[in-house]
Amino acid sequence: MVSQPAPKRQKREEYRRKIHEQHEAADGAKAEVQLPQKRFFRQRAHANPFSDHQLDYPLTPAHMDWSSHYPAFVDPDTSKTTLSGGRKLVKDVEVVDIGCGFGGLLVGLAPLLPDTLMVGMEIRVSVLEFVTSRIKALRLRQQYLKNTSSQDPAPASEPANSPQNGSEAPEDEVGTTTSVVPGNYENISGIRANTMKFLPNFFERHQLSKIFICFPDPHFKARKHKARIVSEYLNAEYAYVLRPGGLLYTITDVEEYHHWILKHFHVSGNEGEDDEEVPSIKDLWERVSEEEVSADPCAQVMACETEESKKVTRNNGNKYVAVFRRKADPEWPA
Amino acid sequence: MANFQHPFLCLRPVKRAPGASEVLVASAGPYLYVYDTANGERLDAWPSTNLDSTKASASGAAELLSDNGPPEKRRKLSDDANVDTQVDQEEKAQKKQSGSTDDKLQWSEIPIVTITSDGQYVVAVTLEDKTLRVFELSHGGKLQESKPRVMPKRLAAVTFTPDEQTLLCGDKHGDVYSMPLIPGDYIKSRIDETRKSLAATELTVHSGRNLRSLEQQKLQKDNPLKGGAPSQEERNVLNFEHRSILGHVSVLTDLISVAVSGRNYILTADRDEHIRVSRGYPQAHVIEQFCLGHKSFVSKIVAPAWAPELLVSGGGDGQLFLWDWRKGQVLQTVSLREALGAEVTVRGIWDISVEGLNFIIVGLEGSPKLLCYSIVDNQLKTENTTTQLSGNLLDVAVSDALNSVIISVDTIREVGSTSQWKATADLPQRLLEAFKVTRGDDGLEFVPAEDSIISSVNSLGTSALPQGLNDKQRRAIDDLHYTMINLKKLKATEDKNE
Repeated sequence: MVSQPAPKRQKREEYRRKIHEQHEAADGAKAEVQLPQKRFFRQRAHANPFSDHQLDYPLTPAHMDWSSHYPAFVDPDTSKTTLSGGRKLVKDVEVVDIGCGFGGLLVGLAPLLPDTLMVGMEIRVSVLEFVTSRIKALRLRQQYLKNTSSQDPAPASEPANSPQNGSEAPEDEVGTTTSVVPGNYENISGIRANTMKFLPNFFERHQLSKIFICFPDPHFKARKHKARIVSEYLNAEYAYVLRPGGLLYTITDVEEYHHWILKHFHVSGNEGEDDEEVPSIKDLWERVSEEEVSADPCAQVMACETEESKKVTRNNGNKYVAVFRRKADPEWPA
Repeated sequence: MANFQHPFLCLRPVKRAPGASEVLVASAGPYLYVYDTANGERLDAWPSTNLDSTKASASGAAELLSDNGPPEKRRKLSDDANVDTQVDQEEKAQKKQSGSTDDKLQWSEIPIVTITSDGQYVVAVTLEDKTLRVFELSHGGKLQESKPRVMPKRLAAVTFTPDEQTLLCGDKHGDVYSMPLIPGDYIKSRIDETRKSLAATELTVHSGRNLRSLEQQKLQKDNPLKGGAPSQEERNVLNFEHRSILGHVSVLTDLISVAVSGRNYILTADRDEHIRVSRGYPQAHVIEQFCLGHKSFVSKIVAPAWAPELLVSGGGDGQLFLWDWRKGQVLQTVSLREALGAEVTVRGIWDISVEGLNFIIVGLEGSPKLLCYSIVDNQLKTENTTTQLSGNLLDVAVSDALNSVIISVDTIREVGSTSQWKATADLPQRLLEAFKVTRGDDGLEFVPAEDSIISSVNSLGTSALPQGLNDKQRRAIDDLHYTMINLKKLKATEDKNE
């Protein structure tokens, strides 16, 4: 390690401060704000889910203060407060992207489900900082566009999600739109969390309608498999927070991981492996058919429009999609 | 100067079938003892050894402790048989002939002991070798061990399903297994030997360094000379019938099995403040509820036998919680700090039924206080905070035969400390104390019972700790008797690039 702060780190800090100040100063109406650039927020791809990170998490879901995340959805009734004293929202968060990375999926989904609150959860500090900054910029930009489009309707006629002409936006960036989109990105947010430990601190039983797990860290080494975000144990927790009928979407570019996922949802098709007599996690999940998946616009966004999936396409990688529906809880044994 | 003796870590009175008298099964140091509570006689000790010569009995522990560093891990690889030296084999042969076990024991403590309600079976876990042992308790109070089972990680808690045919074991890595009480014949299932191809490919690995290491891995795989070592998966296959039924991504601290209104549940607690309510085996993958509210690790959960719809929990935050656990609802919290003032950690919670009185005893780590609560109208009512023991409380049990609450106390450290050793051992050492409980005007009263049976157990004593232990060895023993400190989270500064 060098004793002096590396110039790279210095540059990063300066850049982040600048972006932050710009966002704080902007009131949205006057100038078009700059979107943050990823290269100043990159972080090692792996985080140890077993260590005690300094994490903020609510004592219980009823303590969670979402108001700063979704200011547009705060309940006007000030008498309604969470157990920690924060303002309540008019609706609950329903969609979670576990390991949201740079937030591409959220930005892609936001206009599709403008009335649904969605949150991305990410364990890496810098990456989450980027997501927060990005969403802030997108919201400010929407305000600016709304103001200008009321005077000049031209930008609004451009199709949504069209890449910005030329400038600094990388080719696989999504949401660099120059038009007003439904929801104005007010319905998405990011949170730093270790979902493997603390998912039930954020969400009540059956609160969620969709969970996304996109391009999870493959943890190739066998001794690291316990750190994988999909396991039978964790699937039981996902089933706890997901309502019956809710969907869990997975996508990976690692074939072995895809089979791992199928195995841990007990839908591998190798019926011989499964002891039919004993109830298992497969009581809780069924795989959604391919036809249904291809008709699902959310699955399309996941498979084609996020940054990671574009990167895989660019490298001629394969994509393996599996979507599972949460079944109703099985009957108690007599 | 008398040696310090191992205190009793676990006390388990055993109610037995009509015709057999009550016995007390207790663990101290590396040994399990069986006492007859009718006369205080010692019926058996395991592993069998000539306990009258304290020298021999202490040698196992002494050798374990004299090792520099932690005791050697027991290796599980079958290859070990070939690695064994000639000397080892000779020793083994000798041991078989003499039938004695004064060779090095593989463990220093037995932290978990649990008993079936019919008093037929004793389940014990030996610490360092991570081995689960089931004993049949004979009419005469002798322990007969069946095939030991080596677990992959140290166990945190062991309990039974309500029918007591199945054991539930939770380990420190958060995994919970179910397995038959009596191990049957079992053939280890082999992992498919067709060598699996590498999971990573050029399509999933992009950076130059990663591509180079992928290239290396491929070369290694193709090399026919390498590949004899069993894979990680292969080694993880346990050598007995078992099923993993649920898991926490955390350190598991407690595990109980509760039946309410004809439904079975498994309740698990962890270091990350969670109490999870799952359905009982075989539906343990259905999570019904979480009981959230603790601000530090949860160390102990108890659903009182006389009120199983309620749950009392405690841990590192100095708060006692009373839950309607099926709803995940807090009914009440009681601050233990108010009663004691200092930072406190719950060591144990016991649901007690004695002489028609039902109450809860709470024991704190490194404290001689005996805190008692009764539950009235779904509220904890403080009954007694004044009774002091002669040493730190270690374990609590009720003997029906003696109509008393029996408590094991720490005879090694000064009262109130988990690390300050007494200058010399007391004579005689009061390993156990007994109390008669009555209801007085100001709540429960604990009257010390000067019982001849308890004195008999105390005077028989347990195996002795070696003399002249240095500070490091003493710390190692402290860590065995007081484990809660390890559950605390350190407030480390976060490295952003971690």
